[in-house]
Amino acid sequence: MIKVSNFTKVYKLSKKQMTEQKVTSKIKKAADKVSFNAKEGEIFGLLGPNGAGKTTILRSIATLLKPTEGTIEVMGHDVVKEPKEVRRRIGFLTNEIKLDKHFTPKYTFKFFGKLYGVSDKIIDERREKLFNYFDIKSFEDKKISELSTGMTQKLAIAVSLVHDPEIIIFDEPTNGLDIITARAVTNYLEELKSQGKLIIVSTHIMTVAEKLCDSVAIIIDGKKVAEGTISEIINEYKGKDLEHAFFNIYEKHVKEV
Amino acid sequence: MLLVIVKKELKRVFTDKRLVFSSFVLPALSIFLLYSLMGNMIGNMSNEIDEHIALVTIVNSPESFKDYIELYIDQIDRLKKEQGADFNDFQLEARYIDMTENEITNIKNSETGDLVKLGKTDVVIIFDQSFDKSVEGYETIQHPNVNTFYNPGEEYSSSAISRIEYQLLTGYQNFLLEKRFDGLSTLSAFTVNIENQNNIIAKEGQAAGLGMSFMMPMLLNIMLFAGAMGIGIDVIAGEKERGTMATLLLTPVDRKTIAFGKVLSLGIVAVISATCTFGAIIASLPNASEMLAGGTEVSIDSFGFAIGDYLMLLTVIIMQVGIFVGLICLISVIAKSVKEAGTYISPIYMVVMISAFGTIFTTQDVQMYKFMIPIMGNVFAIKEILTFDLSLVEFGVTVGMSAVIIGVLLKLITMAFNNERTMFNT
Ligand SMILES: Nc1ncnc2c1ncn2[C@@H]1O[C@H](COP(=O)(O)OP(=O)(O)OP(=O)(O)O)[C@@H](O)[C@H]1O
Ligand SMILES: [Mg+2]
Repeated sequence: MIKVSNFTKVYKLSKKQMTEQKVTSKIKKAADKVSFNAKEGEIFGLLGPNGAGKTTILRSIATLLKPTEGTIEVMGHDVVKEPKEVRRRIGFLTNEIKLDKHFTPKYTFKFFGKLYGVSDKIIDERREKLFNYFDIKSFEDKKISELSTGMTQKLAIAVSLVHDPEIIIFDEPTNGLDIITARAVTNYLEELKSQGKLIIVSTHIMTVAEKLCDSVAIIIDGKKVAEGTISEIINEYKGKDLEHAFFNIYEKHVKEV
Repeated sequence: MLLVIVKKELKRVFTDKRLVFSSFVLPALSIFLLYSLMGNMIGNMSNEIDEHIALVTIVNSPESFKDYIELYIDQIDRLKKEQGADFNDFQLEARYIDMTENEITNIKNSETGDLVKLGKTDVVIIFDQSFDKSVEGYETIQHPNVNTFYNPGEEYSSSAISRIEYQLLTGYQNFLLEKRFDGLSTLSAFTVNIENQNNIIAKEGQAAGLGMSFMMPMLLNIMLFAGAMGIGIDVIAGEKERGTMATLLLTPVDRKTIAFGKVLSLGIVAVISATCTFGAIIASLPNASEMLAGGTEVSIDSFGFAIGDYLMLLTVIIMQVGIFVGLICLISVIAKSVKEAGTYISPIYMVVMISAFGTIFTTQDVQMYKFMIPIMGNVFAIKEILTFDLSLVEFGVTVGMSAVIIGVLLKLITMAFNNERTMFNT
């Protein structure tokens, strides 16, 4: 479903960014020859510490950034050559991408539905289903600015699913949510998986990954250092659990450098 | 798709009380108050003018005119006593001097210089030297002429000249004719300013000071830009800053469509905002006509426009809006934050103001190349349409040039939308 080959992303840094990040180099290699495959019907995790390059990879899959080198294919469509085909097939959600707080959930849902070319009838059907599932129904005519953080997050998830995408990409899906809302979200992801969709999530919380993901790629400092199912990783790196295995990988990688 | 985006943008603007207030209500209200206030003040000033005693210098006055002026002043004095506070007729103080033919020719040919030598005066009336003789010998000799000079940049002077030409000289003419024919006043005994097209004592710039109606195109342009500016920054730079733009870019809608949708909705907003402000100007006209048109009654139909003129005007205005909105959008897309966008736009706002102001003082024929100057060309065109001077070729040049500029701007905006560095501040 998603094929990332030799993906490299280099950011050019402005003077301000250079001082902020305390570096002297004018460029930052946020992803370095990363390759992996993710198949339908699974939840794929990108794991790594802060600044590893997870968000960079996910944004590039979502066509918001262009690879400096390498290619990314989504269901056979290249992200650079056919970005629209790719966008049609994915739902993308991150904390930095927000909804206009001025509108109501109902209007927002309808607006994006239309932009994705969904018919009015189907928009209404999906809204019923998703708003009920995420308990947004009773707030649907309020302004988004009046909703709580968790509620807004749930609405954002619902909106990203308005076109019933084949692939769902979540950057830090449970960040900032209470455990009840987080559970609702992960449950929904499980359900989407059972419908045969591919879900890609990024997280730096290993316990979340262990519970949620089928297979993972571990990214450290822009490089992929391990890939496999959860049990494969735990076995290969001799960990009690995923977190333990991750520390082993991290130590090995840091020593190598 | 375009429609969906435009509808959303307009909904965004018109359901936001803050934006509506700051972009439509506030400018319209302040213009209305300002104009009404200024209009009233200028109105008071013109009452003052009515009370002012005009200083009139009369060169080579025939005896009959001196008699007539004396009669007039007597009559005015009597009226003044009778009417008291209600009195508002034209009062003058006459000064008589004589000049040779040469001196007069010099004055007629010079611009201002020689008149200054006459000292402080509101109006100068010059009679042909042989005026009396010519009037008497009307059967064989050509009508004699009277020349008047005034300063259109000066309120007293320009208000006095109309009274003199329409009241005093006509009265004098009737007075002469009456003497001659016992009441037959339809003929003329002399002509006024027949060979003297250019009887203005002031320089052109000064003259424009009064022709305030020329301010319309300038005001219109500034209003259009100002109306689009605030909202433009908000709907583009603001969306980027708040992170809502990325959501839009994730949809399979063409970036070009998104860019065009933004430009189009902003254009609509600009036109509506300008219409509000324009409405405020119209509403303040009863109070402000003194200021805007130097006392003549102004109303929309006093322009006497044909459908074609309206269409040209509309086209040029829409083109101008396109350029403005394109510029505002482009800057808002490139800027990293609302604040930065504001900083970048200010100099452009200045350029727009200067272009608009710059056109006020050009009263000569506008050369063709001037219509090709971005922004300014359109202001010229609007001005020329208002004075019925714009030729079809000039219109074509203006519109063509604008279309090219808008095309380039749209292209640049789309490029900026496709550029991850501008979109995600990377
Ligand atoms: N727009 C940008 N310009 C310059 N450098 C950037 C930019 N975005 C990210 N980086 C740098 O690239 C590296 C990878 O960033 P990225 O956001 O992809 O990491 P991440 O794994 O998502 O981290 P986190 O867990 O903190 O979200 C970081 O060092 C970051 O500083
Ligand atoms: Mg991240």
